[in-house]
This record gives sequence, structure tokens and C-alpha cells, in this order.
Amino acid sequence: MIPPGILSQIFVGLSRTTILFIVASGLSLILGVLRIPNVAHGSLYMIGAFTAFTVTKIFGEGQAAFWMALIIAPLFVALISLIAERGMFQFLYEREHLMLLLLTFAFSLVFGDLVKLVWGGEYKSVPVPAIFQGFVPLFGGLPFPIYNIFLLVAGPVVAVLLWLLTNKTKIGKIARAAAVDREMVGAVGINVSWVFAIVFVIGCLLAGLGGVLVAPTVSVTLGMDHNLIIEAFLIVIMGGLGNIWGAMLGALIFGITQSLGILVWPQFGIVFPYLAVVVVLLFRPTGLLKSTW
Amino acid sequence: MRKNTLLFLIAGIILLLLFPVFLPRFYVYLLSIILLYGLLATSLNIVLGYGGIFQFHHAVFYGVGAYGTALMLTKTAMPAILAFIVGPLVASALGFILGIICIRLSKLYFGMLQISLGSLVWAIVYRWYSFTGGDDGIHGIPIPEMLSSYIGAYYYTLIITAVCIFLIFKIINSPFGSALQGIRDNPVRSEMIGINVKRHQILALTIAGFFAGVAGSLFVVVDNTVFPDMLFWTLSLEILIMCLLGGWFSFMGPMLGAGVIVALRTFVSTYTVYWALVLGVLMIFVIFFLPNGILGYFEERFKKVFMGSEIKE
Amino acid sequence: MLEVVGISKSFDGFKAVNNAHLSVEKGEIVAVIGPNGAGKTTLFNLITGIIKPDSGRVLFNNEDITGLPPYKICRKHISRSFQIVNVFQRLTVFENVQISILSREKKTWNLFSPSKSFVVKETETILENVGLINKKERITAFLSHGDRKVLEIAMALGGSPEFLILDEPTAGMAPEETSHCIELIKTLSKTMGLTILFCEHDMEIVFRIANRIMVMVRGSTVIQGSCNEVRCNEAVQNAYLGGSDVCLM
Repeated sequence: MIPPGILSQIFVGLSRTTILFIVASGLSLILGVLRIPNVAHGSLYMIGAFTAFTVTKIFGEGQAAFWMALIIAPLFVALISLIAERGMFQFLYEREHLMLLLLTFAFSLVFGDLVKLVWGGEYKSVPVPAIFQGFVPLFGGLPFPIYNIFLLVAGPVVAVLLWLLTNKTKIGKIARAAAVDREMVGAVGINVSWVFAIVFVIGCLLAGLGGVLVAPTVSVTLGMDHNLIIEAFLIVIMGGLGNIWGAMLGALIFGITQSLGILVWPQFGIVFPYLAVVVVLLFRPTGLLKSTW
Repeated sequence: MRKNTLLFLIAGIILLLLFPVFLPRFYVYLLSIILLYGLLATSLNIVLGYGGIFQFHHAVFYGVGAYGTALMLTKTAMPAILAFIVGPLVASALGFILGIICIRLSKLYFGMLQISLGSLVWAIVYRWYSFTGGDDGIHGIPIPEMLSSYIGAYYYTLIITAVCIFLIFKIINSPFGSALQGIRDNPVRSEMIGINVKRHQILALTIAGFFAGVAGSLFVVVDNTVFPDMLFWTLSLEILIMCLLGGWFSFMGPMLGAGVIVALRTFVSTYTVYWALVLGVLMIFVIFFLPNGILGYFEERFKKVFMGSEIKE
Repeated sequence: MLEVVGISKSFDGFKAVNNAHLSVEKGEIVAVIGPNGAGKTTLFNLITGIIKPDSGRVLFNNEDITGLPPYKICRKHISRSFQIVNVFQRLTVFENVQISILSREKKTWNLFSPSKSFVVKETETILENVGLINKKERITAFLSHGDRKVLEIAMALGGSPEFLILDEPTAGMAPEETSHCIELIKTLSKTMGLTILFCEHDMEIVFRIANRIMVMVRGSTVIQGSCNEVRCNEAVQNAYLGGSDVCLM
């Protein structure tokens, strides 16, 4: 049997990677349907976190604050992304991927500095909501943060909601068809442009949501976008482009290898997930699960 | 080469040689940086603009070249000249290995595997505190006396960059360069006229890796430091931007792009901390209105005048 | 010279080529005809190594070349032009052909000599033969469609082939360009002694220059024979020639 201490560590790690999954699923969605490698995803995540900070400050440190942030911040991020998409991105879908990559990178630069402008450069912190504060004895009596349990639940909930959205709703089916053949979908009279806008906004909303969720567990700082985006991309690539379950699988592998890595070799702990990605790609260059490309 | 271009070139070189005489130290340092970034961007363009390969993580070769040189200078007692050669050689070996592993994949998956391998290298360097200095990097690297002054560093950079640019120019205009451009335009056609596409691409990647490594070793001379950010993906995208900005279908485009970005960054930073914002807006502008970069824009205007007369025939 | 025996290829369960046969003697001009989707281009792709067959063999001068990669097939002196124009758009007409010759001479590994000075005479000779010499400095993207198809053939000639495969060489060409192209094919066969395999939709062209014709329907060979044999074959008449009486026997 695995010693409880290790299990505990692994699950703490996993609860952190659920956030990675949520952000990566949005990234995968945008990449799979719109074929845009959205480098700005990390910045939107960061904006979500900072917005959560402001919202909790406005509503006082009380109960409702966190829940208000959970609703408002992702919506705010969604709004920003809608403006960006309607204002700029929609004119460039025909361009090469490299251009789109550089464009989203440009946006990430702009967003990054706008965050610096609006919120300043110091660390911010967001308190854990009252009902999630504290620990429960789990894994052989070792204390496990309640908030992390919340995260561990949130991840699969988001996954299921996303799956329902893409597979069971009309919009989801149209989006999946458009991912494979946008001309055909347009030819049957559907306004592909708006479908793309909706997919893009939902994807970005997920990034914002990730930001809100992570805020109570880390110090909210500038630069959180850069570290996150590369890991999110690696997870998406490892799981298969456009595949939500792939993102989950990728996040799982990432989280487990990272936790185990830190236990086994603390100094190089963070190297293990990167190594895992390389190994997976060497044997399955298109990712673990089917991609939409 | 046409007479005008040659004269222009000679004038430029004389100007560059004389700069330290009347420019203050900071500007000489800046010019050194521009030169080596120009070399770095040009090395990327070998595979990007002339080879059509989407090299998303070129910074890895730059960083490896720099760290290779730095580690040899700080950890071994070997003569400096070896350090300056070994760094780029390690970078080109990495280019070769990455090439062999990744080239069998189509463009996108090639890029993805390269990003993941590059990130792995970064993660290792970032964490290996005892060997690479971890996130602190290595500072105060000992440089041979002749090159340690800012003027010495500048002339060394100028000479090496000039030689490398000249070599790259020769390579682009050689039969290999023609084959590479053919592969860029149409890999299927190239195979059908007898070119082993993959082998040529691997060679291109090795060459690009080598010159990126040279740029890295130049940075060590100019700045006496190395740090993990040199291997980070943001730098790779910046190099891409330099190529795009200057124009990646022209030879001097990347160099121009590098110059513009470094100069702009220095200039803007004296007024505001929001350099990233300025760069982002600039990039958006270029992507929308100058898709072929600055030089590409001028080339097209020039061509319209030139081709217009030809089409009438 | 070329022998294709029982070759088949499926794509995701769809049999594009189904047990096809083809034979071409040295010095012949052979045409492959068939309705759209009959598998002609796939057959050419199988012969030239762009795709690997599921079964069957391709023999060239009695050597088994099945499944070899395209660049090795080219070295056996088989060249080909493509149905959808496949040239180097950003390079000039001259450079397009020059690269083809450089490749044949295995000079593409040369890193430091200026490519401008290489094989100039030979490149110009080929361009003269196909009639593109006046446009040699033009960037290919600015050529007319017909000229680009001729450039395709010129590039194929750069490899000094003994065997030339032309995939719908006159597709999309205007009438004058088409007759020019036909004359060119005839010249290549007569004066340069090339063996030519081509496919076309224009029956007139086929009957004018082909020595033998192979008919493909739904991936299989229906018949291979002389023009008259094909014209008088009932199955071909019904499937392809509209059932009308064009038999001259």
C-alpha cells in the first residue's frame, strides 16, 4: 500500500493540477475548433486572478465575496476576449497559424502590462472562502486542506459540463463540425463566425475561472501567466489537440509526475512532468488521445 | 553583387568600425547586443524563412551555446578559444539531434515536440543549481583580457558577426540554399526531383543551431553572464518577432528586425516600464498591416513599380 | 520498361486502386484514361513512391522499385509532373529548373559556392526546348497557368529522365497552349527518345499521340491496347466513350 503521506502529497498536487486542467481545457477547445494557439490564455488566467482579488476586496472579506468573484471574474475575462475576438481575431482566421500564434503572443504582452498598469507590481492575496477554510483528516489521519477537496471536485465537474456542452448541445455539435470543416458548416447556412466567437469566449472564460480558483492558493503576481501557459500548452499537446479528456489525462499525468518527482528528487521535481511530455510525444507525436486536427 | 550594394556595405562596415571612437560606452554595448541578436535572428531565418520549418523554440540553441561557453570558462581551465568553439558546437549537435528526432513529423507536431524538448532543457538548467547556477544564472564569467573591455567585446562581436553573416549569405546562395528554398516552397516537388528532403532539413537545422550557439557565446563575451531566461520560450517568440518585423523573406530582414526591437526596447524603457505593451501593440500593427515585415513592405512597393512594366509585355 | 503488376491501394476502406496492371515499352507513349476518380493520379503516386501500395509490384527495367521513396525513384531516371501545379512559387523560372538539375548532379550538398554559376547552359537549354526561355527571370507565382504546367514538365526534364510521367499535362490550358504542349510531348518522344506515360481527359489528344492506351475504371484496369482496340472495346465504350460507335475496325 502506498504510504498515506505520499498519497496526501499526490492529491494535493492533483488538486493544483485540476486548475491546470481547467485552463488547458479552454486552451484545447480554442486550439481544436479555431486552430488558434492562444498564448494569451495565460494572461487571461492572470486577469481572472487579479479580478478575483479586486472583487473580494470590494465585497469585503466576507462569505459572499469569493462566490461573487467566481462569477464576476470569468465573465469579465469572457467580455475582454469577446472584444478581442470581434475586434481583431475574426479577421485573421485565414492567416497562417504562426501569425495567429504571434498575434496572441502580442496580446499576452499587452494584457500583461495592462495588469501591471491597473494593479501594480506587488503580490496580492486572496483569502480562502470561509467554508473552505481549514483541514480535514484524510489519508491516514493527515490533515488535508478543504479548499483542495473543493478543487478536486471542481475539475471533473467542469469536465463533465464541457463534455455536455460540446457533445449534447446544438452549439457544441456545430462547433465540432466546424472544427473539421468550416466551409461546409458555413455552406449550410450557419453563421460560423458567431460559433467561433462563442467557442473562443467559452475557452477564455475557462482561463479566467482557473485564475479565480487558483487565487486563494498562491500569491497573485505578475509572471504567473508565463509559467502557466507553457505547462497548459504541454498538457494540451500531450493529451491531443482539441480533446477535453485528453487535457484531463494530460493534467493527471502532469500532476502525478510532478508530485512523485518532488518526493523522489526534490531538487529536480519539476523536471519530471516535462520529461513525461517528451516521452509521450516521442511515442505518440499527435498526443495520447485523438486530436481534432 | 551590384556596385551600389557593395559600396553601401563598405560604408556600413567602416561606420561600424568607427563607432566606439565617438560613441559613449552604453551605445557601444547596445550595438554589440544588436549585432548578436541580429545574428541570432538571421540564424533562425535559415530554417524559417528559407527552409519553411516552424522552429518555435530557437532560443534553446542560443541558450545552450551560451551556457556551454560559460560553463567551459568557469568550470574548466581550458583556453578560452576552446570555450568559444565548444559552445556553438554543442548547440549545433543539439540542433542535429533535435532535427533527427523531430523532422519525421509534420510542421505542427515538429514544433510541439521541439517546444517540449526545449522546455525540458530549460527546466533542467533552471533547477541544476550546483552546475548551472539555477535561476540565478552565472555571473562574472572570466573573459580573456583582450575581449573583456567593452571596446574589445564590441570589435570581437562585430568581426564574428560579420564573418557568420557572410557565411550564412554564402550558404543561402549555394546549391544547398536553393534546394532548401525549393523544399520550403514545395517539399513534394523537391522529393520528386531527387532531393532527400529530410536530410537537407536536418543539415539546415544543424547549421541554424550552430550560428545560434555562436550568438550565445557572443552574449557571454559582451555581458559576462548567462541566465535561464535565455532558454525560455518568450525569447524564442521574440526572435520570431524580429524575423517577422524585419521581413523573413529577405536576407537582412531579421537583422533589421533585431535592431529595431533592441533599439526600441532601450529607448522606450527610458520613458516607461510598459515596454511589453508597446511591443505588443507594435506587433499587432505589423501583423495586420505589414505581413511581410518592413523590408517586405518596401520590396513589394518596389516590385509593383518594377513588375508593372514587365507585365505589360 | 515499366511494368505494374496487380497493384492495390485502399484509403480508410475505400479501394482507390484495385489490382491494376500497366505495361510500357521503351520509347512508347502510353496514355491512361478513365472517368474522374478512377484512380489515375493514385496510380501515378504509387509508381513514383509518394504512397506505398498495399499489394502488387512496380518493376522498372526489371528492377523492383515498389515502395521506394520519391527521391530514389527520381535517381532511377523516372521524372514526373503533377496534375495540380507543383512548382516553387517564390523562385524564378530559371531557379526552378536549375534546382532540378542540381539535384540530379547531387550538388545540393554544396554549401559555399554561389549557385548562380551552376549549370546555367543546361538550364537554359531546357528552357529553350520548352519555350520558356524569355520568362526565365520571372517569379513563378506570376506565370500564367499554362506556363506553369509547362514549367512542371521542364522541371521533370531537369532530372535527365529516361521515363517521363505526365499527370494531366494540358489540364486547364487554353487551346494554343494545349497544341504547344502536345507538340512538346511529341518532340520529347521523337528527338529525345523519352518513354512517356501520361493521363488525360481530352480524348482527342490521347488518340492523337498515344501508341497504346490503358483504361482505368473504379481503380482497375479494364483494358490496355492500341487506340483502335480500346475504341472498339464495348466495356470502354459504355463506361467512358458514351456508347457511340467510334470503332474504326
